[in-house]
Amino acid sequence: MSTVAADLETILSSGIRLAAPLAFAACGEYVAERAGTLNVSVEAMMLGAAFGSIAVAGLTGSATAGLLAGVLLGALVGSVHGALSHRWHVNTFVVGLVLNALVLGLTSYLVTVGDLGRHQVAQVSVPGLRDLPVLGAPLFVERWPVYLLLALVPLTWWLVERSRWGLELRAAGENPEAADMTGIRVNLRRRQALLWCGALAGLGGAYLAVGEVGSFNQNMTAGRGYLVIAAVIFGGWRLGRTLVGCAVFGLADALRLALPALGHTVNSQLLISAPYLLALLAMLLFTTRQRRPGALAQPFRRAS
Amino acid sequence: MTRTGAWVSAVIVAAAVVLPGLLIAVTGGSPAAALRALIQGSLGDATAVSQTLLYAAPLLLVAVGACCSARSGAFNIGQEGQVLIGALAGAAAGLRLAVPGPALLVVVLLAAALAAGAWAWLSALMNRLRGVDIAVSTLLMTFLAQQVVAFAVTTPWLLQESRLGAAAALPQSNKLPSRALLGSLGDHPGLQLNLGLAVGIVVAVLVAVALDRTRWGFRLTMAGLNPAAARHAGISVTAVGGIALTVSGALAGLAGAVLLTSPLSTNRLQPDISINIGWDGLLVALVARNRPLLAIPIAGLFAVLRAGGNFLAATGVPPYLVDVVKALLTLAFVAPAVLRRRSVIA
Amino acid sequence: MAPEPALRLRGITKRYGAVVACDGVDLTLERGEIHGLLGENGAGKSTLMRILLGLETQDSGAIDRDGRAVTITGPRQAAALGISMVHQHFSLVDPLAVWENVALGQSGPVRRAAVRAGVRAAAERYGLAIDPDARVGSLSAGERQRVELLKCLRRDPAVLIMDEPTSVLTRAESAELFAVLRRVVAAEHRAVVLISHKLAEITTATDRVTVIRAGRVVLRRATAATTEAELAREMVGREVTLGAAVGVLPHAPAPAAPASSQAALRLRGLTTRPGLDDLCLTVHAGEIVGLYGAEGNGQKSLGDVLSGLTVPDAGTVEVAGAPVDLRRPGALSAAGLGIVPEDRHHAGVVLDLSVAENLVMTRLGDVSGRVFVDRRRLRRRARALADEYGITAPSLDSPLRTLSGGNQQRVVLARELSGRPRVLVAAQPSRGLDVGAVEDLYARLRRCASDGIAVLVISTELEEILALTTRVATIFRGRIVGELPTAQADAERLGLLTGGAA
Repeated sequence: MSTVAADLETILSSGIRLAAPLAFAACGEYVAERAGTLNVSVEAMMLGAAFGSIAVAGLTGSATAGLLAGVLLGALVGSVHGALSHRWHVNTFVVGLVLNALVLGLTSYLVTVGDLGRHQVAQVSVPGLRDLPVLGAPLFVERWPVYLLLALVPLTWWLVERSRWGLELRAAGENPEAADMTGIRVNLRRRQALLWCGALAGLGGAYLAVGEVGSFNQNMTAGRGYLVIAAVIFGGWRLGRTLVGCAVFGLADALRLALPALGHTVNSQLLISAPYLLALLAMLLFTTRQRRPGALAQPFRRAS
Repeated sequence: MTRTGAWVSAVIVAAAVVLPGLLIAVTGGSPAAALRALIQGSLGDATAVSQTLLYAAPLLLVAVGACCSARSGAFNIGQEGQVLIGALAGAAAGLRLAVPGPALLVVVLLAAALAAGAWAWLSALMNRLRGVDIAVSTLLMTFLAQQVVAFAVTTPWLLQESRLGAAAALPQSNKLPSRALLGSLGDHPGLQLNLGLAVGIVVAVLVAVALDRTRWGFRLTMAGLNPAAARHAGISVTAVGGIALTVSGALAGLAGAVLLTSPLSTNRLQPDISINIGWDGLLVALVARNRPLLAIPIAGLFAVLRAGGNFLAATGVPPYLVDVVKALLTLAFVAPAVLRRRSVIA
Repeated sequence: MAPEPALRLRGITKRYGAVVACDGVDLTLERGEIHGLLGENGAGKSTLMRILLGLETQDSGAIDRDGRAVTITGPRQAAALGISMVHQHFSLVDPLAVWENVALGQSGPVRRAAVRAGVRAAAERYGLAIDPDARVGSLSAGERQRVELLKCLRRDPAVLIMDEPTSVLTRAESAELFAVLRRVVAAEHRAVVLISHKLAEITTATDRVTVIRAGRVVLRRATAATTEAELAREMVGREVTLGAAVGVLPHAPAPAAPASSQAALRLRGLTTRPGLDDLCLTVHAGEIVGLYGAEGNGQKSLGDVLSGLTVPDAGTVEVAGAPVDLRRPGALSAAGLGIVPEDRHHAGVVLDLSVAENLVMTRLGDVSGRVFVDRRRLRRRARALADEYGITAPSLDSPLRTLSGGNQQRVVLARELSGRPRVLVAAQPSRGLDVGAVEDLYARLRRCASDGIAVLVISTELEEILALTTRVATIFRGRIVGELPTAQADAERLGLLTGGAA
């Protein structure tokens, strides 16, 4: 194999691993935003889940149990966000930033006082396909939870676009007053969307910890939640483009990490900034092609 | 405030006190000792008080700015980035401009305020041109600001330090000349009152007067409370919001310059010079319900937690619990505000 | 044995604070009838219907559905009980397709093909042509109404509530709608409640009619056994002469020769999309002109333009002969145009500012120096205005939201008149006010006119127009379609004009 192909393989492999946690969380954030919540606490969901997954894996000895715990913890953060912003109507940005600070503080403290150890789920490799040139290793030698995406992405799409639940939450995100008139419980749907968001962001965070890294360190998500928000914006509130965004962001990160090792000079700041720049540019340039929910980040209260 | 609201607040405040104690106890520490250390490290002696007051200054500046923008309805949450841009511009001015004498300090502070104000104004511009949500764009631009600063301090032809000899240059700028640094107010034994705090308090009072007593403040408040009525009354809501956002960014930038030129930093521009002052300052404004004068004691409280938290680390308790306390306190003050059927942010 | 009525309301009472919205309302609805529910705005029709949909809970009274007592907790459950409503304010979600909006009103799994086929079939059956895949946001008002109706009918309701269904429809569309409703009751044995304040509509389209006034039922009769005059009298609560426009209320003085006097307000070709279509209107100093029309024909857009909230796509507003730069915030106010907007909470007042601040907010310069607001001057001025306009407030420093609706309205009026305007626009001025407040308001508007102010009253209430104005212009689909002296106006002529036939 030529060196170029080998380099490409390395970069692709690492890109997919870096994109996977984003993709899980983006499936969640996408649903929350379609329902009208601009959910900044996705960072807290991922970080809390990353911590919880390693902690529970340590307690039970099962990395899979850890993964599950991550899902539950993410959903817990989602339910807190939901209660605060769709029961008590606190500004969603405020809730998100506060929850992020809270979870960062808690996990940082806990990881400092206790040794959580290393726990990691098994790696699978698909016989035959893994030997494909260039794409074989990146796509077919993975920690198994990655393949959950194959089910979760279509499921997310189906839930939002085809199920009654999704129809109702889209209505709640676009025009909560009309939805309310029709008999849809707007704030309930929004809280449910946040639960889904929490579960998937939790899965993303847990995957990062017990899937890729195998341990937890302080602030290990390091702003990936904000990247997820950028991905949804970059994707113009469409699931496919959002996932493309995750892939691009993962790849940019992989390039940043790999290129210096391969002897290239690279402007790492530009690569780190790329997602945020792209998200801002998408909002500035493609306003007409977007599906921005009409009532995004607006709390709903029935006028009396 | 409704009864439920009061209850929710009380429960969260209780959690803010009990939860950290519980965590310390469970992990084998002594909550009482930790509390003593927290107070010792922030208010225990003149040195501790000096440290607390040092932190209070930039927190207050950020918070006062946040009061302006939130009241105008242009909700800025990108103060952390604006602090960084302020520090960057301050460093550039302090290191590159040949201004004689202590006037350099004034130039540093002004440059920081101008640059960060312009940075925040970009969000107002994007909002005006394309309707980009201000909270979203200020948030995203925070991460850009971090990279801009990182780039500046790792690029020799920009601000990276110049080293003679073989030692590799670190990702930081040169030290600012001492005439560009904030000095102490008066001469007190042991106690140091940094000029930064004076700047913060003066700004807080000025902004409080401006918001509550001037035509500008009246217009800004109206635009935030009811944009339609404001427009009818002859107020350009986008312009007022843009100005408030710029002021908010400028004050965050000023906080960045205070960080750079006070003993809180090594007086060099470093990528982590903002030490989360931007995020914390926003929380201060939220707890103070967007009232600049109320932000003075709240900034003091947050500064106590910060200085005490640092001291706590020296006694073996990880300081992060302080962040938990801050977050829960903010939650306690934010949640019931809305139970009164009014939103926190205009 | 006679079958149980489809719906029976017994003694429904609902209070909001001191205001009684519904006061012991009884209403019986049989299958196979179109039942008219007639009343002025604020008479309690909407509250009654919100109770039927479970959006509000009655303080007392009971609801029987097919003879069984029911408790209604929300629109979904109402639909499950067979009660469904076609909303006056659309309940459609613009970015969604027609079929998705229809599916939204149903329950169970969303079967795309089935819903689309269902929409097509229903469209065929009722003659309501509509493309199930069209985005609702791209439809006209009439088409949206069809979607609303389809959405409602797809739930197969036994009781169909139509809330002011014709307000945005042309005469032809209205006729088509009533034909559909007739089929719905005759062939499908449903019951329809037709809420309206248009007399002609009630007399032609309904079988029985119930009139409510101030929350009470004042008349219940077979439609054939009543007359428009009787209905009008019962609805308004006093004699209204429909033939000649001589109401019991004292009329405004005759116009002070409008032709010779100066045009204080001139609207030329105002166009907003959607809303206004080349609207032209002139109001002279000293006259009160009524702009009459069914709701949703552009009155709100006109109000928004005259409040300075929207800049029209085309057209000019001239005050006292000089065109106003509408892009500049507050330009209209500065040019001498005061407005009491339709939704005062939206653009008229700031609920969280004090009464005093609300009284001076458009003329802040009068109570400030170059930089500072002079609190003492502000309070003095506010006190003077409050006294002059009889505003009762616990304190001028308390937030405006603590005031009653009538007092809030007076605050707006006082503030707008304090600038000594040449023009005063009042949009739906009596909406939400009690009778005493309305009389007071009318007296003030008349005094404005006699002081030489040009007054424009935008209203959907015939009674208000007849009582207050000297000249009436009718608006339909964003255009002025007729103009005549109020003395020559009657319900029929105005009805014809507002139907867009002229």
